[in-house]
Amino acid sequence: MPNLEHPAYPAATLLHLESLVPCRESQVSMLLSIFGERQQFSFPSIFIYGHTSSGKTYVMQTLLNTLQLPHVFVNCVEYFTSRLLLEEILIQLQSCSSETEQTSRVPCDNFNDFVRLFKQAVVSRELQDQTLYIVLDRAEQLREMEANILPAFLRLQELTDRNVTVVLLSEIVWELFRPNTGCFEPLTLYFPDYSIGHLQKILSQNHPPEYSADFYAAYINILLGVFYMVCRDLKELQHLAALNFSKYCEPVVRGEANERDTRKLWKNIEPHLKKAMQTVYLREISSSQWERLQRDDGEPGQLKGLSAHTHVELPYYSKFLLIAAYLASYNPVRTDKRFFLKHHGKIRKTNFMKKHEKTSNHLLGPKPFPLDRLLAILYSIVDNRVAPTANIFSQITSLVTLQLLSVVGHNDQLDGPRYKCTVSLDFIRAIARTVNFDIIKYLYDFL
Amino acid sequence: MSTCSVSKGCFVFKPSPKKRKLSQKTVNYFRERNNASEDTDVRFVTCQSLWNQIKLETEQIQEDLNKQLFDNLVSFLRQSHSEFQEKTTEWTCRMKSREIPTAALVLGVNVTDHDLTFRSLSEVLQNNITPYIALLEAKDCPGIKNLMQKLMGQLMNCYIDVDSLEDEDHMQVSQNKIRCSMTSIISWYQNVTKKTDSETPSKKRTSSSRHWQSPPVVVIFKDMESFTTKVLQDFIVISSQHIHELPLVLVFGIATSPMIIHSLLPHSVSSLLCIELFQSLSCKEHLSTIIDKLLLTAQFPFKLGEKVLQVLINIFLYHDFSVQNFIKGFQLCIVEHFYSQPLSVLCCPLVDAKKRVNSLSHDQCENIRRLPSFRRYVENQASEKQILLLTADNFLKEITQKLLEDLYVYHENYVSVLRCLHVFTSSLPKYPLGKQIRELHCACLENRVWETEEYESSLQLARMLNKSDLVTMLQQCVEIFVSSSGKEFDKTIEKLKEFLTQFQELEVAEAFQEQDGSVSAQKELQKKTDLYHLQKTLLELKESRRSKKLTKFEMLRFEVVDYVDSLVRTYLVPADHKTLHEIMYFNTASVLRGHLNAAPRVALHTALNNPYCYLKNQALKSDGGNISNKAPDICIVYKLHLECGRLINLVDWLEAFSTVVTAVEGPNTDAASSDQVDDIIHARFIRAVSELELLGFIKPSKQKTDHVARLTWGGC
Amino acid sequence: MSKRKLKESSGANGECISQVQKILRERFCHSYATGKLFGTEQQYRHLLELLKRTTVHGESNSALIIGPRGSGKTALLNHVLKELKEIKQVSENLLEIHLNGLLQTNDKVALKEITRQLQLENVVGDKVFGSFAENLVFLLEALRKGDRTSSCPVLFVLDEFDLFVHHKNQTLLYNLFDVSQSAQTPVTVIGLTCRQDILELLEKRVKSRFSHRQIYLMNSFNFKQYMKIFKEQLSLPAEFPDESFGQKWNNNVQHLSEDKTVQDVLQSLFHCTKDLRSLQLLLMLAVSNVTVHHPLIAASDLHEASKQYRMDSKANIVHGLSVLEICLIIAMKHLNDVYEGEPFNFQMVYNEFQKFIQRKAHCMYNYEKPVVMKAFEHLVQLELVKPLERPSVRAQREYLLMRLLLDNKQIMDALQVYPNCPTDVKQWAASSLSWL
Repeated sequence: MPNLEHPAYPAATLLHLESLVPCRESQVSMLLSIFGERQQFSFPSIFIYGHTSSGKTYVMQTLLNTLQLPHVFVNCVEYFTSRLLLEEILIQLQSCSSETEQTSRVPCDNFNDFVRLFKQAVVSRELQDQTLYIVLDRAEQLREMEANILPAFLRLQELTDRNVTVVLLSEIVWELFRPNTGCFEPLTLYFPDYSIGHLQKILSQNHPPEYSADFYAAYINILLGVFYMVCRDLKELQHLAALNFSKYCEPVVRGEANERDTRKLWKNIEPHLKKAMQTVYLREISSSQWERLQRDDGEPGQLKGLSAHTHVELPYYSKFLLIAAYLASYNPVRTDKRFFLKHHGKIRKTNFMKKHEKTSNHLLGPKPFPLDRLLAILYSIVDNRVAPTANIFSQITSLVTLQLLSVVGHNDQLDGPRYKCTVSLDFIRAIARTVNFDIIKYLYDFL
Repeated sequence: MSTCSVSKGCFVFKPSPKKRKLSQKTVNYFRERNNASEDTDVRFVTCQSLWNQIKLETEQIQEDLNKQLFDNLVSFLRQSHSEFQEKTTEWTCRMKSREIPTAALVLGVNVTDHDLTFRSLSEVLQNNITPYIALLEAKDCPGIKNLMQKLMGQLMNCYIDVDSLEDEDHMQVSQNKIRCSMTSIISWYQNVTKKTDSETPSKKRTSSSRHWQSPPVVVIFKDMESFTTKVLQDFIVISSQHIHELPLVLVFGIATSPMIIHSLLPHSVSSLLCIELFQSLSCKEHLSTIIDKLLLTAQFPFKLGEKVLQVLINIFLYHDFSVQNFIKGFQLCIVEHFYSQPLSVLCCPLVDAKKRVNSLSHDQCENIRRLPSFRRYVENQASEKQILLLTADNFLKEITQKLLEDLYVYHENYVSVLRCLHVFTSSLPKYPLGKQIRELHCACLENRVWETEEYESSLQLARMLNKSDLVTMLQQCVEIFVSSSGKEFDKTIEKLKEFLTQFQELEVAEAFQEQDGSVSAQKELQKKTDLYHLQKTLLELKESRRSKKLTKFEMLRFEVVDYVDSLVRTYLVPADHKTLHEIMYFNTASVLRGHLNAAPRVALHTALNNPYCYLKNQALKSDGGNISNKAPDICIVYKLHLECGRLINLVDWLEAFSTVVTAVEGPNTDAASSDQVDDIIHARFIRAVSELELLGFIKPSKQKTDHVARLTWGGC
Repeated sequence: MSKRKLKESSGANGECISQVQKILRERFCHSYATGKLFGTEQQYRHLLELLKRTTVHGESNSALIIGPRGSGKTALLNHVLKELKEIKQVSENLLEIHLNGLLQTNDKVALKEITRQLQLENVVGDKVFGSFAENLVFLLEALRKGDRTSSCPVLFVLDEFDLFVHHKNQTLLYNLFDVSQSAQTPVTVIGLTCRQDILELLEKRVKSRFSHRQIYLMNSFNFKQYMKIFKEQLSLPAEFPDESFGQKWNNNVQHLSEDKTVQDVLQSLFHCTKDLRSLQLLLMLAVSNVTVHHPLIAASDLHEASKQYRMDSKANIVHGLSVLEICLIIAMKHLNDVYEGEPFNFQMVYNEFQKFIQRKAHCMYNYEKPVVMKAFEHLVQLELVKPLERPSVRAQREYLLMRLLLDNKQIMDALQVYPNCPTDVKQWAASSLSWL
């Protein structure tokens, strides 16, 4: 592994820096060499991409802070309009130009003003001979703003004619940023995802004080064995490690096993981890609940995640409306006759089932249907007569507000609005069971 | 302002007038309706006071029901940011950083009730946890920007609410001046908390008694379902950045099921939340408590008749699970009753009722005499007494007082006996008389419950109850009766107690030999020789699997069941058999139905199809099929279009229209003979058709030229 | 002995390395200001002539400099201006106004900027922030006042000219060209753009007022010249303080230019783009490795740089996915093969995945649907998969129609380098339609 070295900075700082960024030394040295010495020009704009929690933000921050390079660090999600973004940058400039403590926020509503004010700010500060770094985290948000923002940032050095470098951080590859009329091409750097070895190393680093390092390392090893398949996100793994550790060292605490015999420990922890894959990974239950559950040693089989409460209580007619809507949106119109006419003529299966439609509607999703088809089906599936009172119609709208139905396209009252049913098959089956209506018999896909 | 209307359209919102003025108006309204009887004001006042009582009662109930849920929430909030309170650096806490504590609050689909819940929730939080609460609604936050603005606005204002010292220098910090970003919220939060620290000790104590130094900021999303993914996503990401500076807690109000969170948020976002689930109790239970507390009590003189109750319950179960609407319906019943029934003056606590009876006017007395139940009563009296009743007001009055009195007694007894019966029926297999007490109530109101076969079968089943259940039931019944205010239950209690003791003795008796049991059995048989019991016992014998002859226990069981039966027969007489029940009971379900479930399409159809029933014009009195040309044009056009198919040819339609219109002056004028229609008729036709289109009956179709498509089918 | 030399050299040139860095970085990153020009002599003369006429003889004029990005438009203009300034009588009276389409996004802003650059705020006072119309009127008045002999010439430079075209009915352009037409204060408008079709974008009235002078900058050099440029770019100037090192450096550059690998690298780059910026980027990367211990650029550096320069970013991203996500991508690949690149939705992908799980149950843990959904959403978030239409709030996620933005080759390449990938998954990916 290359240990960092750079003329501009004392070796001690570099060593410290290196200790701070495990498994990212090569990237850091790359960055250092590109940045060059303080007063030297650096590349106008650098684009760094890599997966979530591959240390983009962390590395940049530690690098800039430990070397005390003048910089501005902005998260583009947080400052969601260009105005907010630019103002934030200026404010940070003012604040880090220290001694003159006048953070009077200057209104800056377009890039033109920004450039002007930026020049002033840089001039006002003592260290204008150094490269100033502007780091824009979650840069993909820039695409949502005005068209000129992104290109302008990319060539900020030229526009302001100051020694400034803009660093963009994102998870998304540069090709998806490039505007169609092209722009100044930044220098793109890739932060590769951590290999399993890296993860092992990093996770093992901060072990709880009361346990030995290699005990924790063994635990991490098991953890990775289970979760590496489904998730390689460092943050997520950290979370999981923190949650399940107490369970892992239970036998040790009870004194049934010493820290050595990993087999017993493995036997103890494995089912929990498997369960955690469902509930914790989905964040179906809060970490505190999970811990509580382990403390009173609840059998992980019987913990109730969010998905356990899928049942929804509905008024009687709402249930039927929903069922009708489901039928309407998953059955072809031409089949209604066969399903809902009491004594339809001899419609033989053969010509009723069209051969060419091979993909079932449950793959393609619901189709929109007009209001009166819904009502027609409703009347035919509810055995006693339903009066078309205002209550019925209001239920339709309330189903829409509950997102169980959804209005498609323009909801113009004159030519009837069209709806879609947005519930899953399991859901509707559960509903149908409560009013003992065998919905499968009425679904075209299951004939 | 929002409406609860189904249809789109523009609504007029009048500024709500002063309470007193309004009530004054209603009084007048009461009066001018039936100017005959004088004591409308009294009626109105009684109505008002009664309703106020009931309102208070309901609010109380709501509170109690929500208490459990709220307590859980509060405790959750308390411990949610505990590590934020004392800056702990404990290992696990360090590991799971940047999680926003989140309460997923599942409230059920009755959206109309949610507002109330949220209001009380925020009150509770204000008092216990934190002054900083923001309630967000989806329709206010289409974008993250609006959301932030709303959030900040509410937070800043709530600051002003907390102590009004700073409000002048906080007033001028208006929306547009502050940059709507998280940083400004944080700075605000910091100096707010700083202020509370640097307060005078007295104030500090008061504040810290209720909240800590740095209370959490609670953001409530009222209707999770309607929020857009992007907004939520951005907001959560942003606030998770600053969770260490700003102790934020989210509350998601969920109507359907918690799965909505998954469908709304991608993993990268949901992994920033630390979700805990809170379930409010189902609205059905809510309703049954309401009914229990409002209807099944002698506390309020006003009662609902069986049909009316059915209507209300059906609306609840079939259409909206909304308890609020149920209560509104109940209110409507009260108003309607006091408004339409002149004798409802007497519908008030017994003491005042007696007074008022004395001060009844003559024609009020006449009203009483006109009451059907009273008529029935009179017919059963001796002739001279009849005359007295029909002539002498004073006599009538005292009789009325007496009748009112036993009506009250009836109520008291009714309730407790009903509960007692419910104790039995609710534990039977397959609930022949229904599981809920409300069903039992309806059954009893409807007609003599003991004549129904459900009742029979349930008695049969009751005769097969095992001992332990029976005992427990009896104990429950005893409790009920003891707690009830009824006078003449003392001996009932005695009887039940006696049963219980006998059961205890049985246990002892089990030890003894069998034969005397058999002897006693025969003795028993000899003892009760009346046919009724005999056939019952024989039937029982046939059923009993184990042995022909009855054990002591079985005997006792019969007695208990029979006793309960006798109670039912004496006390659970349906209300409309009682004299003067019209005073207390509101039973005109038709009116209520008319008010509560409107049928817009039907109304429209009748209006167009038979205009007479709205504009009472003799000329329009049409007998079925034929179309009179006196009718408004739109009616004619409508009727004509009813006879057409999917597509309507405008030209033919116009022809038909003109023939109908010109039907009267048909032969003598040659206008009809000339095939071309004159312009006025044409214009009228076009106007009528466009009106129809506006009403949504037809729409222009692309398929064929000068055709329009029908949109409605069938009668409605 | 070479080692000895290197050592003593390294001992010597700590600061002159940084000198080198300074100079070259300036050259590469700051080229628009000071960059050399390559093979644009006659454009240079043309532009110079044009501007001279304005500044010296006071002729109004207008011209467009058109050339692809990084072809040195700005550099050209800067050089010309530099030379122009050296003429005494020009330097004191020439008003320059630099506008940039990226900054002045509408005419109002542009107008403010103009007044600001003309230092007219004090004159007009509040008028600067008056309405757009009166501002314009005032400005035009100011420009019209003078006659072509006395008053000093004004030079408008419009960078990213094509963006000005999109302003509301091109008011600014119209007026500028109009002024430049009418013989009053000498005004010259120079537009810089990378769009060849710029003239089509102008409205008729604007176009008619534009003197159709266009200066084209095409990187029209062959590979030999390219190599020459490469050398010039990299070699140190003669006035470099430490001549010996300068010598050594330049010799090294000479050697590099003859080196085979270097030539291959440059060849490939040349074929993919003649844009000089990319060359500078490459060199920049190479130069940044120059340190005291490694004073001279080696061929390997350039090679590394080029590798760094052209790696497939999407493949990188795919490399970082979890196995589950890889499986989903493979499923999509198969769907694409089956339905000839028809868009698909999550439900189909999930089915596909299920089929795989059923036949190869042992190799992978069967995840719940929500878990798979989350994985899929991650792919969407990474924009490896893109929804056809913007996902509306109401729509069900499972049924949104999607497209995969990876082609089969990319997927297969990524799978080759993918760390500990189950063999079954590999086979599944490799298997053609037949297995369905």
